[in-house]
Amino acid sequence: MSRPFGKLSYAVLCAALAILAATGIGTFALGKAPMTHWVLMAHVAVAPLFALGLAAVALTWADLCRGGAPSPLNIPARVLLWVILLCGLVVVLSGVVPMTPLCGTDGQHFLYLTHRYAAIVLTAAVLLHWPALARRK
Amino acid sequence: MAFLFWRRRRLPLLALLACQLCCVPHRSGAEDNYTESRAPFLHNIPLHDAQGRLITPPDLLSEEGKPQEPKASPYSPAQTCGKCHDYEAISQGWHFNADVGTVKPGRPGEPWILTDPPTHTQIPLSYRGWPGTFKPSDLGLTDYEFLTNFARHFPGGGVAEPDKINAGDREMGRMLITGKMEIDCMVCHQSAGRYDHEARFNALKAEEFRWAPAIAASLGVFSSSRSAASIADSWRPGRPPPSTLPAIKYNRACFDPANNVLFQVSRRPRVANCYYCHTSQTELGDARWHSDLDVHLKAGLLCVDCHRNGLDHAIVRGYEGEAKDRSISDTMIALRTALLRRDNAALSDDAARDLARRQLQSEAGTIETLTCRGCHTSGRLGSPPLLHKGLPPIHFAKLSCAACHSGPFPAPQPQVVHTSLAHKLGLPAHTRGQNTAPVILEPVFLRGADGKIAPFKMVWPSFWARLNGTNLTPILPADAAKTVTLPQPSGDDAARDPYQTRPLTDAQIQQALESFPADHSKGDPVFIAAGKIYRVDKGVLSSREFPAAKPYAWALAHDVRPAAQALGARGCADCHAGDSPIYFATVAAKGPVEAKDGLRRQMWQMRGDDKTVASFFAFTFHFRPLLKTIVFAAAFVVLGVLLHYGLRGLGAIAAWLGGAGKEQP
Repeated sequence: MSRPFGKLSYAVLCAALAILAATGIGTFALGKAPMTHWVLMAHVAVAPLFALGLAAVALTWADLCRGGAPSPLNIPARVLLWVILLCGLVVVLSGVVPMTPLCGTDGQHFLYLTHRYAAIVLTAAVLLHWPALARRK
Repeated sequence: MAFLFWRRRRLPLLALLACQLCCVPHRSGAEDNYTESRAPFLHNIPLHDAQGRLITPPDLLSEEGKPQEPKASPYSPAQTCGKCHDYEAISQGWHFNADVGTVKPGRPGEPWILTDPPTHTQIPLSYRGWPGTFKPSDLGLTDYEFLTNFARHFPGGGVAEPDKINAGDREMGRMLITGKMEIDCMVCHQSAGRYDHEARFNALKAEEFRWAPAIAASLGVFSSSRSAASIADSWRPGRPPPSTLPAIKYNRACFDPANNVLFQVSRRPRVANCYYCHTSQTELGDARWHSDLDVHLKAGLLCVDCHRNGLDHAIVRGYEGEAKDRSISDTMIALRTALLRRDNAALSDDAARDLARRQLQSEAGTIETLTCRGCHTSGRLGSPPLLHKGLPPIHFAKLSCAACHSGPFPAPQPQVVHTSLAHKLGLPAHTRGQNTAPVILEPVFLRGADGKIAPFKMVWPSFWARLNGTNLTPILPADAAKTVTLPQPSGDDAARDPYQTRPLTDAQIQQALESFPADHSKGDPVFIAAGKIYRVDKGVLSSREFPAAKPYAWALAHDVRPAAQALGARGCADCHAGDSPIYFATVAAKGPVEAKDGLRRQMWQMRGDDKTVASFFAFTFHFRPLLKTIVFAAAFVVLGVLLHYGLRGLGAIAAWLGGAGKEQP
């Protein structure tokens, strides 16, 4: 991995996720879901940044985390990265597919719930990833 | 449909006996004799007058061989139809119970609008007390005056049919002559298209209330050259009415040899019958042919497929949450109680009443399946399921179904709409135009009681009044005409502009206000119009917004447009654009005043929304395609990486498994 680019990607991902979690999970936790107005606009505005960060992390971190690769990362950090990538993919797709005329009301509702709960798992995975990263092999 | 097997071919002796039995008037307790088949019962039935007497027009020739006119008492729907159908229960129905204080008003609906172009008056009225309307009594308008204004589209019953007539009452006492205005079942239920609304209107205009059902049903004509109103005019309160009143000169051809009359009726009224009172037209005049009408009607449904009712005629209005607004009348409980006790003699009266009430409440709960959402999610009547592809579910929490599907497609300004009740549609008159009072606009997107955005019709009250402190006393048109000096249209104007649509100028309003008799004890003269109150202070006319001048709005639900023509079918920009009507259409207050300094509001203002949020949110939609491209591209990359390493991992597992196999001989 290109270390500076990898770290930058990871920082972008985390920063974007912080805003997305604050607006999305925060609204949900406060019992005011779904998001509306400025909160929704902030959420949607940051979403592309998150998606780009996720793609960059995938490109720069994946090889470090593959099984059997020589890597300074410990096993939990490697596994959690794959969880982050997988959940991130689910989150971005379940966020953007509703903007296309592919799904009806039931599908939209399913995607909405999928987006919500995948985002919670993603946030938890990132929060767990930090201490795992700190404890290098 | 429940039909009585009423004897149609009775012998004269039996007719005489029936006549004797029927001499005691009764309005409820219809005979318990029903067909209960889906096949309609042929209503070839005898007529009865208001006293319950059998109507038998005299023979063509008298015993002396002299020609006789077929004159007889007017037929009474209550006595004729009520023989089999419980008139008392029917009279509890939504169309007849507006003045019953115990009936919940429900969602505000279309008001009666007291309109008088010469005095520029338009006041929304309702007995139901919907906020923003006046109760007739608040204006000093008696029930009788209400009838003389609105009987044209009033089906009878309720205020038109008081339990007692006070002979000492100058106005209601006239009903001793004119008769009560019974519910005319044929207004809705005749199915042959032979009901003459214009003849009914003319009869009611002449206060021939008791004669109107027979005249409208084309059974006969009023037999006197003097109208009932004229006879009533010569009557003095407190005195007995004339002993003989004009008869109906019946059409002999309507009677068969047994004196029965064929009523072509349907339990499920024709759409045209509903349209007489419920037409709502935005394509005015000759432009009507552009209207597609309601998609449900085009699909073959009747209004009553959704707007149903039972014997109690508690029509399903069809809005979400209606079940909690419905009242169950004592009559219906009594009817059900009797039925329950018949089926189970062991039930006590109290237990049966309790069970009846619970059963009726439970049945009322099912009306939610007759709302737009209820029908299209349950698939009733073959309704297509809700798809809404690409529409995020939040829209269902923010918008009513009607917001996207009902009324004319939103435009930069709401359109003028004419309605039957407000513009006397269904009755011949000069062509009504854009400014024919009352000017009603639709669609105006407001929030309903459930917090959802919905399309509304809107009308601004307009009347002369006196303002005493905060107490506003409207002046009825007849009094205003005597009190206020108003510009008189010239002969040319009257011919060219029969609805007197020319707006008042400020100078004319000031002149009119200054013409009020100086009586400060009653308050200052004011004019309410187009959202403002006008008053003269020290010789200067001023105007400002005023609570009583606020518009009255009621939700609209028809005509329903198909999905392909719904708001949003063309994309998000139907609503989320910088000029989308649902946020940024301009609503200009309409009234009989010049519009130069009139009130103007955009939709977001009418709802109390935040313009910045709406505008900025609309602005963000310019970037939606970019957002989608970035996110899909990023997702593609992540998916590629996951697949790449996932497949490599699978390859490694396969190699390992294969290698492990080789090691074992």
